[in-house]
Amino acid sequence: MTIAFYVFASVALLGAILAVQVTNLVRAVFGLLLFFGALAGLFLLLMAEFLAAVQILVYVGAVGILMLFAIMLTQRVTGDDRRGGGSRGGFWGFLLAIATFCFVLLPVLRDAHLHEQSATGASLTTKLLGERLMDPYALTLEVTALLLTAALLGAIVVAKGTSEDGEGEENE
Amino acid sequence: MLVQFANWVQGELACSPALAKIVGILLAAVPLATVFALCFAFTTWLERKGLARIQNRIGPNRVGPFGLFQPIADGIKMITKEDIVPRSSDHFFHLIAPLLVLVSSMACLAFIPFGLGMTMSPIDTAVVFFFAILGMNTLAVFLAGWASRNKYSLLGGMRAVAQMVSYEIPLVLSAVTVVMMVGSLDTREIVGAQVVEGWATSENSGLRFLGQIAGWHVFTPWGFAGFIIFFIAALAETNRSPFDLPEAESEIIAGYVTEYSGFKFALFFLGEYIGAFAVLGLAITLFLGGWNGPNFQPWWSSDPHALLIPGFVWFFFKMFVLMAVLIWIRGTLPRLRVDQLMSFAWKFLLPLALVNVFVAGFLFHVAKEDRVWASVAAFVFLYLVAKGLSRMNQSDAPAPRKYHFAE
Repeated sequence: MTIAFYVFASVALLGAILAVQVTNLVRAVFGLLLFFGALAGLFLLLMAEFLAAVQILVYVGAVGILMLFAIMLTQRVTGDDRRGGGSRGGFWGFLLAIATFCFVLLPVLRDAHLHEQSATGASLTTKLLGERLMDPYALTLEVTALLLTAALLGAIVVAKGTSEDGEGEENE
Repeated sequence: MLVQFANWVQGELACSPALAKIVGILLAAVPLATVFALCFAFTTWLERKGLARIQNRIGPNRVGPFGLFQPIADGIKMITKEDIVPRSSDHFFHLIAPLLVLVSSMACLAFIPFGLGMTMSPIDTAVVFFFAILGMNTLAVFLAGWASRNKYSLLGGMRAVAQMVSYEIPLVLSAVTVVMMVGSLDTREIVGAQVVEGWATSENSGLRFLGQIAGWHVFTPWGFAGFIIFFIAALAETNRSPFDLPEAESEIIAGYVTEYSGFKFALFFLGEYIGAFAVLGLAITLFLGGWNGPNFQPWWSSDPHALLIPGFVWFFFKMFVLMAVLIWIRGTLPRLRVDQLMSFAWKFLLPLALVNVFVAGFLFHVAKEDRVWASVAAFVFLYLVAKGLSRMNQSDAPAPRKYHFAE
């Protein structure tokens, strides 16, 4: 368990570093996907299989593909771009990272009560997750769905452009 | 049998849990890898024979009886061939892509229940995991196209991504109906729900015979429509003909596999077929009753649950029947055009799948005594919806193509 944690964590770190440091855009995307995949592995270790599956489905499957699509639609399809890859403002970025760690993460870590959990204890079943989503958090879910629908409609309007023909048959 | 053997080995190794765990994993994974590699070999032979028959040829008939050893000869040829890597290609990703295709396809098999207790990874959320890992296939194919640094490969990769993303939605939506009706994401429970409880355990052997079939989801209106949608989307998802645009040899040479040779090409081939097996396996699990089939009680046994034909026999029988249908389709239908492909997914399959979800939700709440009438009404309704959608799509004949950049 511990070994698996360190493996996943180091893979995640490696992926994150690759995503930031590699100059080739497509390779950077794949670094990011490696990071997402390792994160899914970490979720698995926390006995949250549904979350892990959704992590792979949404981030590796959908977000990654979306990024690749975006790269495909530009002129530099091969992803080779040596320009503009410099790390200007690195100092401020570093400062921001330190500040985030000190003022956001540390207080949370100090307040959190991480009580000992048995490794194969009562895991959050999918059924429970569904019931929670439908009962106490139904409003949140609805609002999210509404937001997504609005975004989809907006995307269709943008994509249709000036031509007035064809109906927008699009669904979530 | 295999399950009993696995249990016996586990019992013997109980003294060292770590070793038992490793051996258990190997015992589950190795048969899976070998059996499906053999299935792949057999299917390539079947496909060549089938296509040859459709085209009035004989097909492979030199190596072994009926040409049955042709796949082995092919394998030897593939291994001994030179592995050519283009100089400007991305060497690392060029190597990784075929492996990723194979690994993601193989991993999908872990969630398919081949028989009672024969699921390699029996987890709660198997269906979600299946689709998550199936999505990795898309990435791998794109990676292959991109890493080759070849215009045709890149075009093939882009086509593959567009096609797989589009068809994944009807695929998942048609599976959603089953998940809704069964109320579980567990593939074992989905299979279990397709046995008519009262009949399958009754004394009457005829009724028990029927009870193994009558509960299949494909016989319900939502299951029937869902199965057809799932099957079509599965064809597209696994790049099978008539949806094999990403590797159309007449347009873009061979798409993303253009720059692959030797064993890497064989890996792509293998991964693609195993992906097809996995998706068909899920179709069988969701709609065709999984490992259930017409069965008898063996005459020497008094246990009413004993079955003469083991479940996995039925499973593989169904899988090969579906595979034969795939080959038949490949031999019969011409390849689609890109715009037809897209409009078919977004304007026909997706609305139909959504309507199907609503129909399933409606049937879920119908009282038991009205279920027959509701089912008939649902069948008619779904038929009308499909008819109406195809009518609506007919009207927009492809407009004369406008060339933006070619002037």
